[in-house]
Amino acid sequence: MKFDIIIIGGGLAGATAGVELLKKGRKCCIVSEGLSLHHTPMDEYLALGGTLLPGDSVIVGIWEEHRLKAVLTRNLGNTPLEADTFLLCTGKFFSKGLKATMDSIVEPIFGADVEFDPCRDRWYDSDFHAPQPFERFGVKTDAEGRVLIAGAPCENLIAAGEILAGEIDIIKSAKDVCRTLI
Amino acid sequence: MKEYDVIIIGGGITGAGTARDCAMRGLRTLLIERHDLADGATGRNHGLLHSGARYAVTDRDSAAECIGENLILKKIAPTCVDDTGGFFITLPEDDLAYQSTFIESCRAAGIKAEAIDPVLALRMEPSLPHDITGAVKVPDASIDPFRLTTLNVLDASLHGAEILTYTEVTGFISSSGRILGVKLRDTRTGERFERRARITVNAAGIWGFRIAEMAGTRIAMFPAKGSLLIFGHRVSRMVINRCRKPANADILVPGDVVSVLGTTSTKIPFEECDGIRVTADEVNLLLEEGCRLVPALASTRVIRAYAGVRPLVASDDDPSGRSISRGIVLLDHETRDGIGGFITITGGKLTTYRLMAEMAADLVCRKIAVSKPCRTAERPLPGSEEHHVRHQNDSLGKKAAGNRFGLLTDKMDFASKSEVICECEHVTRAEIEYAVKFLDVHNMIDLRRRTRIGMGTCQGTFCMTRVATVLAETLGCPEKAPDFIREYVEERWKGCTPVCWGEGLREMEYMRKLYREK
Repeated sequence: MKFDIIIIGGGLAGATAGVELLKKGRKCCIVSEGLSLHHTPMDEYLALGGTLLPGDSVIVGIWEEHRLKAVLTRNLGNTPLEADTFLLCTGKFFSKGLKATMDSIVEPIFGADVEFDPCRDRWYDSDFHAPQPFERFGVKTDAEGRVLIAGAPCENLIAAGEILAGEIDIIKSAKDVCRTLI
Repeated sequence: MKEYDVIIIGGGITGAGTARDCAMRGLRTLLIERHDLADGATGRNHGLLHSGARYAVTDRDSAAECIGENLILKKIAPTCVDDTGGFFITLPEDDLAYQSTFIESCRAAGIKAEAIDPVLALRMEPSLPHDITGAVKVPDASIDPFRLTTLNVLDASLHGAEILTYTEVTGFISSSGRILGVKLRDTRTGERFERRARITVNAAGIWGFRIAEMAGTRIAMFPAKGSLLIFGHRVSRMVINRCRKPANADILVPGDVVSVLGTTSTKIPFEECDGIRVTADEVNLLLEEGCRLVPALASTRVIRAYAGVRPLVASDDDPSGRSISRGIVLLDHETRDGIGGFITITGGKLTTYRLMAEMAADLVCRKIAVSKPCRTAERPLPGSEEHHVRHQNDSLGKKAAGNRFGLLTDKMDFASKSEVICECEHVTRAEIEYAVKFLDVHNMIDLRRRTRIGMGTCQGTFCMTRVATVLAETLGCPEKAPDFIREYVEERWKGCTPVCWGEGLREMEYMRKLYREK
């Protein structure tokens, strides 16, 4: 199956980006693991005719040098999902976009570079209500939003939303990324 | 002003046990606690009912005390004890010759210790490492320190004792070298008042150092911090110990729905006793050593880390605090320091609390010339007077309450209030209402200690709004529900942060999304 853009993650960032891209006539497919608190952009995305793979998740990418050719999902098995561009919108820890081990933070699908503090005692603030350092951890990108893997940018894998490092305005980040794509 | 025979300072297990003993002997008794019951070291340990085997080689007196109390508590507190049995295992890197010394020492202290062939031991407890070279079975068990304290306090009040939680001692009333009573402050309202008694007992654990200072004397104690981890499942049937000299992370205790691994031991300054935190290094050390004890811990989720401060009475300069006797220390400050009407009970262990209480109450009685015998070794705790029979048709919540409270379940209204409020531990509205009515509950953290609400895998993340609402309604102050949630979530956070990886960090992020205020 071939699309213009495959969006990994159907939360606020993924669905917002999907709506923007559909409006510009791009053929989109969202792979969404399921739980999202934000129905409005997803409802609009579906009303505009976007493709959705609900309850599915991306397992692995198929690469050609620094270019992502296709991804395989749990439910589609060996049928690859191909696209010109891939958007990584899998969010942070709760949505499994990032995974913490005892001494590092990893991005589990592609092994993207992650910005985090190496000292676990500094991952949190002891005041529950204060902003938490771990909420600012996220994948590293270049100036165009392209995801870095082992220090090198991927040509067509772009990150948006909460998976990014730093303080993120989710909707703005999704819309900004779409502007660079259109 | 009302005059008491005895005022006991400290609502940990020692103070609770002493209050029960004194009240059962007919003394007019007042128990004072600055926070909630079991807030200090009592609620921050393994929850291990020692057989005494751990101390058999190094401290025979403590070992003998432990086995005596172990057998008594199994009889008088069956709703608090889970009689799992325990193993002391030898690994290839340990000296197997230690095992025979260990068994001989156990027997000399009166502890039934039986060497089990490693092949058979693995069949009895498949969670053990497959390369064990030896195993010894001992009568260790698991005990719930919160419930044990609660039931001691309940029994004290059933015998006429008065209980003041959230009340702090600010000083003593004294005259010509005699303590006549205590100056108090309600920590919630700030109200100051006084209470007088013929004898005041300092049972404040490590904080007893300051209490003694206020009374004008010094006790040579030092605080040793011990950190522990809670895992999200029971991974062994029995208590598992290392058969070697006591060291870090060498005991795993299965308790209720979880397992507890510990401890570390570090000397800390007195100023750090309040608000101690577990560091990443301590967590890493515990996990590394713990996985050697029970390999399955490597793949079991850690749900919480916590630390307690042991009150050790110093006798030498050992920085680890391990070679110091865990023996019971009873001080009569009249003969020791010339301060009349004041005694201190300290040292000891959770397992020996009843004996400590008996010794303290004996001294109180001697000082005020009361000759009533101690009955705490024969009289069961409330709810355990007779065997509690579970019925197959009872709801899950009623069965869970029966396991926790035995016959006291009859006082809970399961006919109309059987809905489960906390799913992890199956706590129902009936049990919450009972706790509020009889067990001195002021907020959700108190309620957790009485009922185990929010102590399971979700740590209250999913049930706390419901619990807060039900509790606030039951207390007759529905407007307080948001405060309860805030206090509770802040308290839970302390235990989650040292183990902030994997599923734990996922849940922390979610907890923040649900409950944060900024």
